[in-house]
Amino acid sequence: MKRNIFIIGALVLICSFSFVFITGCAKTPETQIMKDTAATQAEQDKAAAAAEAAALAAEKAALEEQMLQEKLLAEADSFKDIRFAFDKYDLSPEARGVLSKLADWLNANQDFEVTIEGHCDERGTTEYNLALGERRAEAAKAYLTNLGVDTMKITTISYGEELPMDPASNEEAWAKNRRDHFVVFSKK
Amino acid sequence: MRAFKGLLVVFFTLFLCLPAWGKVYIDIDSPAFQQFPTAIPDFRNMGTSEDREGLSRWFSEHLSSALDITGYFRMIEKGAFLEDPNSAGITAEETKFSDWSVVGADFLIKGGFNYDGKKLSVEFRLFDVVEGKLITGKKYWGKIEEKKAMMLRFVGEILHALTGERGVFDTKIAFVGKRGNESEIYTVNFDGTDLQKITNFKSLSLLPHWSPDANRISLTSYLRNNPDYYIVDLRNGKVKRTSEYVGLNLSGPWSAHGEKALLVLSKEGNEEIYTITIENGKLERLTNDPSIDVSPSWSPDDKSIAFVSNRSGSPQVFIMDAEGKNARRLTFEGSYNTSPAWSPKGKKIVYEGSSNGSFQLFTIDEDGNNAMQITFERGGAEDPCWSPDGRYLAFSSKIGQERRICIVNSNGLNLRVLDEIEGIQSLESPSWSPHLNLY
Repeated sequence: MKRNIFIIGALVLICSFSFVFITGCAKTPETQIMKDTAATQAEQDKAAAAAEAAALAAEKAALEEQMLQEKLLAEADSFKDIRFAFDKYDLSPEARGVLSKLADWLNANQDFEVTIEGHCDERGTTEYNLALGERRAEAAKAYLTNLGVDTMKITTISYGEELPMDPASNEEAWAKNRRDHFVVFSKK
Repeated sequence: MRAFKGLLVVFFTLFLCLPAWGKVYIDIDSPAFQQFPTAIPDFRNMGTSEDREGLSRWFSEHLSSALDITGYFRMIEKGAFLEDPNSAGITAEETKFSDWSVVGADFLIKGGFNYDGKKLSVEFRLFDVVEGKLITGKKYWGKIEEKKAMMLRFVGEILHALTGERGVFDTKIAFVGKRGNESEIYTVNFDGTDLQKITNFKSLSLLPHWSPDANRISLTSYLRNNPDYYIVDLRNGKVKRTSEYVGLNLSGPWSAHGEKALLVLSKEGNEEIYTITIENGKLERLTNDPSIDVSPSWSPDDKSIAFVSNRSGSPQVFIMDAEGKNARRLTFEGSYNTSPAWSPKGKKIVYEGSSNGSFQLFTIDEDGNNAMQITFERGGAEDPCWSPDGRYLAFSSKIGQERRICIVNSNGLNLRVLDEIEGIQSLESPSWSPHLNLY
């Protein structure tokens, strides 16, 4: 009986030892994992900081880009309407001046395109004025193309007498309404 | 309305005069034309029921205003009448014509009705006061809702007897209604009733033209950011984009049989006149000139085309053969002549020309003779078009700050302005429908 007890005790011991051994063995990788985690966290923090910095930089760049775009568009916006004489679509010296600047600008800022809208005053009929408005827009397009602006970057549309800038019926309003209007936009 | 036709029965034929009859009296297209002085007493209740609907006055008043719209009649005030409508009969035998000649009437229209709450019958009679005899008379049977159709049918009879044609009460006018930077196409009946909105594109839509069967309207719209050519089917509201070339696709008049339409395209870099086959979009180019060529209008036989070109320096009206050959200048007076429309009766072309700082309407014979200014409106006159009988012109004129559609007789007299539309600033570019057989 005593011997039996001893055997059981031994078994228990062995078991216990094994248990200790097993748990001991199990403990080591756990610690390692914890260590690894700690290392990853540090790296992650670092990466996050970097990403944040990058995002900030990108944001800054985007903001700068946006500001540049806005600045450029503001510049583009300064290309005022060019005006025409009654029933005419030839370009005045002033109109040619505006178009030269616009051409330089478009050539310097390749990401931008332009739509030229041709308009007329209310006198005469819808149809003739749609044709006349088209001639006015095409005259400006031809001038820009001659100055090296890529023809693919220029679109024209005539609104004839349909969208007057000033709806009044007097010489002053008519002069304002006989115009090419430039809409510059970014391809991006 | 169309089902109504079967209900109408012609009553009097005995004294019906031939269409040529009216010409004995007066040429209504002449600038010297004097309106027919006409009296219309209240209609007589021929039945036993009380006139609860007020038909007695309804018929006399609506007949008066319809005849007034035609521009051929001057209505004599009822207050001047000597005859008592309650006691006087409506036949020639029962009428004392001297009572009517003394108040200045050359023509007298009498009528009677019988309405029992279900069925309405109405007799109309047109008398020549000077001759003291019946010119034409009709009796119609129908429902109370058909009273306007009955009245307008008899207006057609009166016009036929006195002018040789039935008038244009069965026509509509399409036009452009503008508000801010948008415009839509609308239609309205000749008498100003039944306004309908045809497009709802919320874009700029321009240049409406009726198909000859009146089932479709072509137009130019910026719906897809380019002035493209569309056809709206009025029967089902379907919209078809029929021409969408880069640049202008300007809607023009349809051919007499409706298989083709005139179109201005600038796809070759310059505005040229084409015909388009509606069915398949096939194009045929008619002009070939570096100048602006626009505003084509067919002659009634489709053999010639009037159009505008600035090939001689300023916009002028030209005529060419339907195939685009033999272009010849038609207008020589003035530095700006445009928007020609060929009278459906032929021979005459109306156009707008610059005159002392405003645009006014002129007519000219197709051989270039007899150029004549016919409007003298303060707000100018633009975009003329003819009624299908060639007796009227519609155009737009600035009244106050905005444009309105105006109608005049072909001699330029009797101006009538179509009502404004709530919420619409400007009404422009009228196009007159063919006869619709509404009544």
